[in-house]
Amino acid sequence: MRKDFDQLNYYEMLDIKPDAVPYEIRHAYNAALQLYQPGSLVSYSFFSDGERRAILSLVEKAYQTLINDQSRKDYDATLISRGEIEARDESAPDLKKPVSVFHISRGPAARTVFISSDALKNKISQSRIITDILAQSELSGEDLKQIRTELGLTIEHIAEETKIRVNNIRSIEEGQAEQMPPAVFLKGFVKSYLKCLGLDSVEELSARYMNTVSRPK
Amino acid sequence: MAHVWPIGGGKGGSGKSFITSSLGRLSAELGKKTLIIDLDLGAANLHTLVGVPDPQKGFSDFIRKKIPLLEDTVVETPSANLFLISGAHDNFDIANLSYEQKIRTLRAIAKLDFDRILLDLGAGTSFNTLDFFLISQNGIFITTPEPTSVENVYRLIRSIYFRRIRYCFNVTEFKELEVEADRQFGDGSFNRPDSLMKVISRTHPEKYTQLNIEFDAFRFKLIINQVRKHDNAALGLQMCRMMDKHLGLNMEFLGNVAYDEHVHDAICQQVSFLERYPYTKTATDLREIGKQIVESAGRQLTLRYM
Ligand SMILES: Nc1ncnc2c1ncn2[C@@H]1O[C@H](COP(=O)(O)OP(=O)(O)O)[C@@H](O)[C@H]1O
Ligand SMILES: [Mg+2]
Repeated sequence: MRKDFDQLNYYEMLDIKPDAVPYEIRHAYNAALQLYQPGSLVSYSFFSDGERRAILSLVEKAYQTLINDQSRKDYDATLISRGEIEARDESAPDLKKPVSVFHISRGPAARTVFISSDALKNKISQSRIITDILAQSELSGEDLKQIRTELGLTIEHIAEETKIRVNNIRSIEEGQAEQMPPAVFLKGFVKSYLKCLGLDSVEELSARYMNTVSRPK
Repeated sequence: MAHVWPIGGGKGGSGKSFITSSLGRLSAELGKKTLIIDLDLGAANLHTLVGVPDPQKGFSDFIRKKIPLLEDTVVETPSANLFLISGAHDNFDIANLSYEQKIRTLRAIAKLDFDRILLDLGAGTSFNTLDFFLISQNGIFITTPEPTSVENVYRLIRSIYFRRIRYCFNVTEFKELEVEADRQFGDGSFNRPDSLMKVISRTHPEKYTQLNIEFDAFRFKLIINQVRKHDNAALGLQMCRMMDKHLGLNMEFLGNVAYDEHVHDAICQQVSFLERYPYTKTATDLREIGKQIVESAGRQLTLRYM
């Protein structure tokens, strides 16, 4: 048995780390609402009305406390004194300085992290184009590019997330055997690429791609 | 000893039998000697889904002691490596197995010589169904993205949890726990495993620890079937999160299986959906899940407490 919900601290309630930036707090709050709102399929029949109300009001309290710099500072202080979290590292950006927070949440590296895979998976299952592509027996570089574009992801984003070089991603999408990295690397690259798009069945899709591109046209 | 995968969950029609037969086929194709057992007695149709329209023997012969050994009720299917114990011709419910019959069945299943054994348990939550879930760490729960089906899965999981707790105590002790839970947490809470556990943590700390170890060992899995384009694709992960956070139970999300009209077509034509429509999203989803299952190992918990 874990702790009861009302025994969790606000970070635990929202499933975030104590150093979460405001963007993450807002995101986690919305995710929690999705779970606990009346009418949510996820928690259907899971709680009595009373339990649900109690949880929602705690979630609200957690959000309001953490989203406001001053109240969060005060709250952190009580957690630190209870030994539940550690005092923030000196070198970490001071939450009181709006500039540094701004900097973190807007930096390109940080931004990419926030395209949640849940959102991607939803897009994938709702896109006719992507579903059709995935239902084919072949999977070409052109198909991959189409899926990526459909999801609104840039090559640079993929490169950033997967650490695959941009020109390698291009050659995967162009499907030109001569320009591609050697097969041993290629397979791994393709898998990370597919994973980064938020696709399931990565093994099978990468095999499909490998078969498609190696077949003489 | 074989890996046993009890499969159950959402209400009738959610796809338990279709998925059991598909996973059985995949496991067989991947080289595992695989047995599927139809324990959804009274609503048995696994035999139809694996191309054995009129099985000559089955589970009822074992129960009626017409065939003394469970292994002798196994029939072949047209697919290599895939075997079946049919539930056809059974007109009783699994709920009506006597204690003695149940124990005899569980013992016999544990002794069968197969690599993988999949049990289609149907939709019930009778004590017998719960006990079949409790013989393995690897129970698989199947639901569709509909409130009725989700509700049934949650109910089933709570019942299994509850049943496991029940095994730790004798009748008098358990009565006391129920009364105490009712006193502390109010109406109906003796029905809630999490309330009971709270009481146990105070009244029987050693048993509490032991039960927690047991629950931590479960590797339940969740599959969302018949997922349509506009459904929330994250439902499965979110349900797992709910169970972890509010029941303290591990549940692993195995994946979504897309809805596809061709499933109906394949069943009507009595052909294997996976063979007939291999490039559909649904087939890909099934293969991905099949692979995870075939590769993963799990410990049996068989009968230790029954
Ligand atoms: N992924 C799916 N896509 C479309 N139809 C499905 C799917 N899974 C199951 N079905 C349909 O649901 C019906 C009921 O499935 P079945 O496996 O018999 O359910 P259960 O055993 O849970 O009662 C099947 O006959 C089939 O037509
Ligand atoms: Mg069935």
